[in-house]
Amino acid sequence: MYLPEYYEFCCRVKVISGHNALEKIPESLAKMHAARPLIITDKGVSEAGLVDIVLDAIRDEVAVGATADDVPQDSSLKVVNRLADVYRDNDCDSIIAVGGGSVMDTAKGVNIVVSENAHDLMKFSGAGALKRALKPLVVIPTTSGTGSEATLVAVVKDHERHLKMAFVSYFLLPDVAILDSRMTLTLPPFITAATAMDAMAHAVEAYTGLAKNPLSDASALAAISLISSNLMGVMENPSDREGRLALANAATLAGAAFSNSMVGVVHTLGHATGSVCGVPHGMCMAILLPYGLEYNMHKNAHFTEELLVPLAGAEVYAATPKHLRAEQVVAHIRKMNQDLHDATAGRHARFLGEVKDGGGRQVVPREKLEDIAEAALDDGSIFYNPEECDYEDFLMILRTAWEGTPLDRGLIKGV
Amino acid sequence: MNEFREVTPGGKPFKKAYVALMLWFVGRAIQAAAKVDGDVKKEFEKLPEGFTFCLGVMPHGPYMIVGKDRKERVKYMGWRREGRSIDLDMKIKNIEAAILMFTFQEGTAVATARDRMVVDGEVPYACAIVRVLDIGEVYLLPKIIARLAVKRYPVWSFGRKYIGRVRIYFRSIVGY
Ligand SMILES: [Fe+2]
Repeated sequence: MYLPEYYEFCCRVKVISGHNALEKIPESLAKMHAARPLIITDKGVSEAGLVDIVLDAIRDEVAVGATADDVPQDSSLKVVNRLADVYRDNDCDSIIAVGGGSVMDTAKGVNIVVSENAHDLMKFSGAGALKRALKPLVVIPTTSGTGSEATLVAVVKDHERHLKMAFVSYFLLPDVAILDSRMTLTLPPFITAATAMDAMAHAVEAYTGLAKNPLSDASALAAISLISSNLMGVMENPSDREGRLALANAATLAGAAFSNSMVGVVHTLGHATGSVCGVPHGMCMAILLPYGLEYNMHKNAHFTEELLVPLAGAEVYAATPKHLRAEQVVAHIRKMNQDLHDATAGRHARFLGEVKDGGGRQVVPREKLEDIAEAALDDGSIFYNPEECDYEDFLMILRTAWEGTPLDRGLIKGV
Repeated sequence: MNEFREVTPGGKPFKKAYVALMLWFVGRAIQAAAKVDGDVKKEFEKLPEGFTFCLGVMPHGPYMIVGKDRKERVKYMGWRREGRSIDLDMKIKNIEAAILMFTFQEGTAVATARDRMVVDGEVPYACAIVRVLDIGEVYLLPKIIARLAVKRYPVWSFGRKYIGRVRIYFRSIVGY
């Protein structure tokens, strides 16, 4: 096990996991001296009936101050500032977020504004802007992917200035994360696949990146193992409660890992592909993960190869010669993508050229790859990637990931 | 009777002086590289007018400030940060971490991964400046040391590497 000379790890989130975990919310709020939460969610989540499940679980013991269900697909500064007013107008004293990454990030943003008694979130951007604990925040993830329930960041978009602001502070770690199988039971299969591969990418990049440490590693290995032994089962049987809970746990574990050990080139290119072409984040992660591993292999094969155990099991690891293990990890992830592709009747894309929108149109035209490579130069996740990556390198990875052919590792500059 | 040794900030004068000297040199070298090296020039062209960045050590310095002046020229602007509006603020958390970095015992990437720095400012600026610093290191340091500081030692033409190096050293020392 690799031990860096120096590292920091912090994940002070109370996790409550179970098929009836929601029922623990009143007690958790009471322990934090909170009694009147603002519920933040989005239309999709509330229409799926998930907010009702939460309300049913807490209604007898908690007086909800208000429910705001209009968080957009992308978090936005305006919405954060507006929801802060809703919080105050209804005399709330805590926040419950029910949703995916955007809802959780919005809730974190609202929490900054109401805790600091301010009116504009922008005042609190920048390192060290937050100096004290915020109001009690309970998060209930409804996808098993982003891991925001265990991270110290909130990404909020300022649509007017076309900026993505990242707020980073240990105070942004939620107080309580509720993992309840009822929250993900109705997640459609192709979203289940993409979000699980996002969690997989968090764990794999944290484990193979420059900022790895033993605590993140333990979380990452557990996450990978839970995903690889439960994802296909859930794909075949979406109402598998145990499998759903396992994936939710995996996402949280992977979130804790990458909140402390960061991500790398897979996310760098994934963020850029998302912002230039609008490809869903999880789908980018699934497609790009094998390429990121191939690109860095000459630097970190000794870490990558260890992932064969949680991915494929100890027997496969032992039966694979050492010099082939890292490549076997990549092959295994490609095989997972193929299986997910088959299980979703082709909706889970295996390469960028294959990504289609609802109307069957190609989402990433080949001519856009240059723009994506250019956008990747502005993404900070590359700092933690083991190998350097310039414009040409980005473009080379993108071209092969567009075609769906394995990376020719002989073309990598550092090899 | 006072049994506790008083700890006052501002100790370690030799380490601070060494880091201050290195920062001074790096600042002047960036100014020089922006004239001599095409890639550095391009990175600064993409940054907004009046862009200013500060690299230094917490809590009380030393610092160095580099920015674009009104005529779009890249200038080393000294070591005083008071009264300046800084677009990108890169602070090494303490003098010991700064020593590790400036004696090249710890590469920039590893130092970042180990949380040695606090970066304040927009991420695209930070990406651009890290690329500039990496190029600067390749110019200023012999390969055997620069290889430890950057993730991948670049393959440059003889002219870019050796003639560029001489020009940058000369300009840094003379200061234009
Ligand atoms: Fe992600």
